Parts: sequence; C-alpha cells; structure tokens
Amino acid sequence: MNTVQKKILSLTAIVLFIMVAIWFILTYYNQKMQDQYNDILQRYLQMNEVSASSQQLVTSLNNYIQTPTSSKLSNVESDRQRLLDAQLQIADLRNNSNRFTLTNYLNLIDSLVDSTNRSIRLLNEKNNEEALNDFTEATRLSKYISEMTLTLLGTELQTYDQFYRGMIMQSVELKKLGVWMLALITFLLLLFTYWFSLSITRPIQRLTQAARELSRGRFDTHIEIYANDEISFLAKTFDRMRININNLISEIQTKAQLESELQKNKLLLQESQLRSLQSQINPHFLFNTLDTLSKKAYLEGSVETSDLLTSVARLLRYNLKRLDRPVTLYEEVRVLREYIFIQKTRFTERLRFEEEVDEACLHVQIPGLTIQPIIENAVIHAIEPLEEGGTITFRVRDEGSEIIIEIEDEGSGISEEKISHIMEDRFAGQEGDGHSTGIGFGNVINRLRLYYGREDVLAIQSQVGKGTKVILKLPKEREAG
Amino acid sequence: MRKLVIVLLSAICLVLLGFTLSSFIHVFHYNLSAPADVGSTNKSGYRLILITQEMDTPFWDKVEYGASKAAAKYGAELEVWGSYGTNQEDFLKYMEIAIASKVDGILVQGLNTDGFNQLATVKAAGNGIPIFTIANDVPITDSLRRTYIGSDHYKAGQMIGEQLAEDLGHKGKVVLMISDHQEDFQSKRLDGILQILKFYPDIEPITVVAGDTREKVVAATNEVMNKEPKVAAFVSVTANNASAMVQEIGKRAQLSRFHIYSFDDSPEIKTLLKEKKMSGIIEQSPEMMGELGVQLMVQWLQGVTFPLKYEGYYTDIRLLKADELP
Repeated sequence: MNTVQKKILSLTAIVLFIMVAIWFILTYYNQKMQDQYNDILQRYLQMNEVSASSQQLVTSLNNYIQTPTSSKLSNVESDRQRLLDAQLQIADLRNNSNRFTLTNYLNLIDSLVDSTNRSIRLLNEKNNEEALNDFTEATRLSKYISEMTLTLLGTELQTYDQFYRGMIMQSVELKKLGVWMLALITFLLLLFTYWFSLSITRPIQRLTQAARELSRGRFDTHIEIYANDEISFLAKTFDRMRININNLISEIQTKAQLESELQKNKLLLQESQLRSLQSQINPHFLFNTLDTLSKKAYLEGSVETSDLLTSVARLLRYNLKRLDRPVTLYEEVRVLREYIFIQKTRFTERLRFEEEVDEACLHVQIPGLTIQPIIENAVIHAIEPLEEGGTITFRVRDEGSEIIIEIEDEGSGISEEKISHIMEDRFAGQEGDGHSTGIGFGNVINRLRLYYGREDVLAIQSQVGKGTKVILKLPKEREAG
Repeated sequence: MRKLVIVLLSAICLVLLGFTLSSFIHVFHYNLSAPADVGSTNKSGYRLILITQEMDTPFWDKVEYGASKAAAKYGAELEVWGSYGTNQEDFLKYMEIAIASKVDGILVQGLNTDGFNQLATVKAAGNGIPIFTIANDVPITDSLRRTYIGSDHYKAGQMIGEQLAEDLGHKGKVVLMISDHQEDFQSKRLDGILQILKFYPDIEPITVVAGDTREKVVAATNEVMNKEPKVAAFVSVTANNASAMVQEIGKRAQLSRFHIYSFDDSPEIKTLLKEKKMSGIIEQSPEMMGELGVQLMVQWLQGVTFPLKYEGYYTDIRLLKADELP
C-alpha cells in the first residue's frame, strides 16, 4: 500500500534527483569551461615563460661575461635548460594560423642558444671581442624573441577571437539557462506539490464531510473514498464504525419499544388495581358484613343465601389478591365456579353452564383473573339480553405443548369488524364497564399477550346469530422474553 | 478553481520548459572546439620570407600577390614582412630575425648598405640561407645574393633615354634627379640613360643629387630650376622623389612645358600619371617578380633549377606614356 510517508519520500527523492542532476550538469559544464580557460592561460603562460627565460638567459650570460666564475656558468646553463624546456612546451602550441611564426620562434630560440653557447666558448678561448659580439647578438635575439612573443600572443588572440567570444556568449547563455531552469523547477515543484497535497487532502476532506454527516445523525450514507493510502483505510474503518453505530441504534430502538410495552403493562396493572381499590372501599368491612350476612342467613335457615354470600366473599377476596402474580389454572377454575354459582342464582334456568375440564391440565400457571372476565363477558353478552338464556361451554384440554381453553356461548355473535377491533385493543377507554371485577376483555387480552410474549394466545371465532367461541392457547412452557 | 490553478501552473511550466530547452540548445550549440591544432597539410613546404622596405604600396602589394600565388602553387609557406616608408632599421631587423629564424629562403628588396651586405654575406650565407633580391638588386660581389628577380634597370634607363631624345628633338637640358642613397638600381638606371644620351651631344644631362626627404627634394628642385631656367625635361630616377619634384615644378611653372619621366615603383606615381602631371613612366611587372621569385626559390631548393643565373632573371618592362592613357 502506498503510504503518505512513501509519497512524501518519493516527492523528496524526485526533487533531490532533479537538483543533483542539474548540479552535475552545471558542474560538468563549468569544469569543461574551467579546463578551457586553463588551457588558454597555459598557452599564454608558456609563451611568456619563453620570453622571460630568454631574458633571464641573457642577463645571466651578461653576469658571466662580467665575472666568469663557475657558479655564474652553472646559472647560465640552468637558464639555458629552462629556455629549452620552455621551447619544448611551446612546440605543442602549434596550430594552423601560428605555424609559420611558431617555427620561426623555435628557431629563434635555437639561434639564441647557439649564440650563447658560442659566446661562452669564445670567452673560454679568451677571445673577448668575439664573445662580446655574440653576446650583443644574443641580446638582440632575446629582444626579438620578446617581440615575437607579442606577435604570437596577438596571433593567438586573433585565432581564438571567435572561440573567446563563443565562451563569453556561452557563459551568458549559461546564466540565462540557470535562471530559466530555476523558474521551471520552481513551477514544476509548485505543480507537483499542489497535485500531491491534493492527493492527500482530498480524501481527508471527504472524510471530514462524512464525519459531519455522521455528527448530524445521518448514519445511512455510505462512505466511499478512492485512495491508495492510509486515508482509505481510515475511511473503511470509519464506514464500519458507522454501520456498527447504525446497528446499535436500531437495537436500542427495539429495546426502547420493549421498555415502553413493559411500562404499558405496568400501567394496565395499576389501572386494574386502582379500579379494584375503588370498589374495595373497605374490604374488611365488606368481608365481615358478607360473613355476618352469610351466618345470619344460615341461622335463619336460608342455606342457599348463605352459600351465595360466601361465594361472593371468596370471589371478592380472590379478585383483590391475585391480580399481580400468576396463579394456577386450578385456582382460576375454582373462582370461576364460585362466579358461575353466583350467576346461576341470578339467572336460574336461563344460564346453562357446561364444563369439560381435563383435571390433569390444571396445574399450569396463568395470569390471575383472566378466565373469569371472559366468562363474565359471555354472560353479559349472550345470557343477559336473551329471555330464554343460553348455554356457556367451558373446555380445558391438553394438546401436546399447549393447553387449549375454550369458552363458547350461543349468543348473537360478534361481527368480524368488531372482532378485529377487540383484537387490536381499540376499546381500551371504555372497557370494564359492567364487569364485576372492573377488568375488561381488552385488559385480559393484553395481559395474556404480555405474559406469554405472543400474539396468538387468544382467538375469537364468531358467527353473527350463532354464538361466539373464545379460544385460549396456553403454552405449557412459558417462552423466555 | 482547483482546475484553473492546475491548468495555469501547467501552462507556465510548459512555457518555461520551452524557454529552458531553447536556452539549453543555445548553450550547447556553441561548439567550443579550439582552432584546429597542427594541420598536416604543407608541413613539408618550404618556409619562405619576402621582406620589403615598402609594405602596403600598390607595387609591393602586387609582388606579394604574385609571390603568394606561386607559394600556394608550389606548396611553400610564405610570409611577408616589411617596414613602412623605407625604415631601414626595421627592415634590417626583419632580415636578422628571418635569418635567426632559419627560414628556408629569403626574398628581399635589395638595399645597398653595409648593414644589409653584412647580414646577407655573414649571417645568411653562414647559416646557409639563400637570399634572392627582388625588384631592387645589390651588387653580387658585396652581398653574395644568389640571384636577382626584377626589371632590367639598365635597360629601363635606356628606354627613358631614348624617349627623352625623341621628345626633346635631340637637344635641350635634362635634369636627372637621383637620391643620395647609392642604390644599385638607381645607378643602373642612370647608367642606362646616360649611355643613350651620349649619342646626342646636344642634350645636356644635369645630374642632381637630392636627399631622401621631401624637403630636400623640393630644395634641390628649386635650386636646379633657379640655376638652369631652360630645362626642358626632368627624370626622377628614384621614383620616391617624383611626387615632391612634380609638385615643386608645378608651383613654379606650367607642368605641360616639361617632359617629366619616372619609374612606377612608388605609390604616388600612377596618380600623377593619370592627372597628366607626368609625361611617362617605366611600368614594371611586380606580380611577375613575386611569382618568379618564389618559383625560382622553390625550384632551386628542390635542386630543379641549378645553377642560377647570377646576373638575374629579368621581368618585363614597358614605357607607359600619359598620352596613351584613356
């Protein structure tokens, strides 16, 4: 993966490479020019060397003629050698335009050396006159050499004129080239740096944008960044985080919904408790009074009234106690029987109650006061309005994993529309009216659903004019959650 | 905005790249190779030197031209040295340098002085360097020159003499103006003139010796005109004196009254002739001299032409009259 660091390093490397390349070119070129300058200077210096050494030779020769000592002689000899060395070097300076002059020059030097030698020889032979003659000639020759040096230098300048001008022009051009190159590199670098910084900052800007979206609470926009460095890694990670947060939030939302349902359940319970409390003005007083009435009726020989009062008292007590915790089906069925006893007393022959109870099923736990309100509902809607009364059938049977409880009446039935209203809990406001316990059908349905955690715990089958059948399917094992 | 910046930067970069490239090409376009070192051509050629006292005169330019032509033809290297305005000291110095430079041959305008002869005999002959005199000769006995290439001055004198005799109708006074330098060519010319005039006893030649400078020539002219008012003709035997002489004569009398003659080896002569201030001149062949001189030198050095004629090789001369000019 291309990292940002790698990018920066490569940019630096490129810049460095360019700089070094230019430096090399310029240095190489400068070196070349330097060499040329050196060559030229060398030529001039060599020519000058001839001139100077010839004069030196004449001077030392003069000294020797004045006072001929061996040290002076060796001086002359060393000067002569120096001149000959210079001559050797100057021979290499030959070119087309100075060839003739240079040959003359070299021969002049030879002549000078010859004259010097002759002069010394003659001096040794004590022929002072002739020696002086030759010395004069050497002097003249030395002068000519100097003059010819100037001529040569002049020729040199003329020959190299074009060359020198070329060099000057070239150095000027080189300077220009330097300036252009500097400008070019500056702008190239600007361009590169700009492009490079864009490649880093553009993904970051997108990321920033995405982060802003997130901070505004929009978790559903997909973050996608096309880059080949750490930024894309960051972006991917960021995106994953977004998805995670999104999931978490939806989870929290479901939990909150559950919470509110629980709250609602509590509220329903409280409501039923409140209603019971309203009717429970003074339970002890009521129980005591009912007890007293029951005893009184018994003493007065009215056994039936006494039993009735006992049933009412029991029903009332159950009603008050068993609302907030589950009870066994057995208890429910007992209370139901008390209730039916009371209602039979009221409706006599008009109420016919049939029971098909599988006693083995009565141990299961169900929410308290769930069956009695359904029966009461049937009594209210299917017995009370009818003059001839009706039959209410109560069945409990085992069906594998579930216990089925059916409450069937032969009343006028309920319309489909009303059933769906009931099932969707639309009568919340007006329920409980006319019920002895103050607990309505809707309350029962809700409590059952909450208790078992499933919707289909209660079903209503009804045909208008043919009666209604309420079916409770109670799982033997309560589902968790 | 971002796009604009990038486009702008790219454009600037392109422009700069163009300039840089052109500058780059400029820099490396200069082919800085030093002028060629020794070319091998002409290496074996002889090194010849032509020395004159009168550099850059029309006459010597022609000599030089002819000599260069021949040098190129024979593959010899030739250099022309010389002093300006007959500066003898410089001239002799060049001689000495040429000898000390051990050239293969020297073509020199003869100068009949001790210095010249000394150099020619002792130095040049001692170093085995051949000396040819050109245009002006020196006596062979004094200089040990190998040969002479140029006009036959004796014959030239004779031609002037004959023309004088014809113009003057065998009678009259003639002033022969000579320089106090006893140059070989001058004495030969004078001899030639006098030799012809001897046949005409009625023509009286008056030889006037004037100095080198203009003033001396003017003075001498004045003097002779004062002394001899009936002079009918002037001959400037040394061409260099002709212009001063003509000018002075022109001041005192009508030039057309006189017959004035000279030779063509002076820069002013041709002009004077064109202006008809002179009656005639002896025209020599300087180009031929140069050409022949180099040719002979090379051939002699190669041993082709051997031996040389000691009296010299004469080039063409002819009498050019002012009347014949267009």
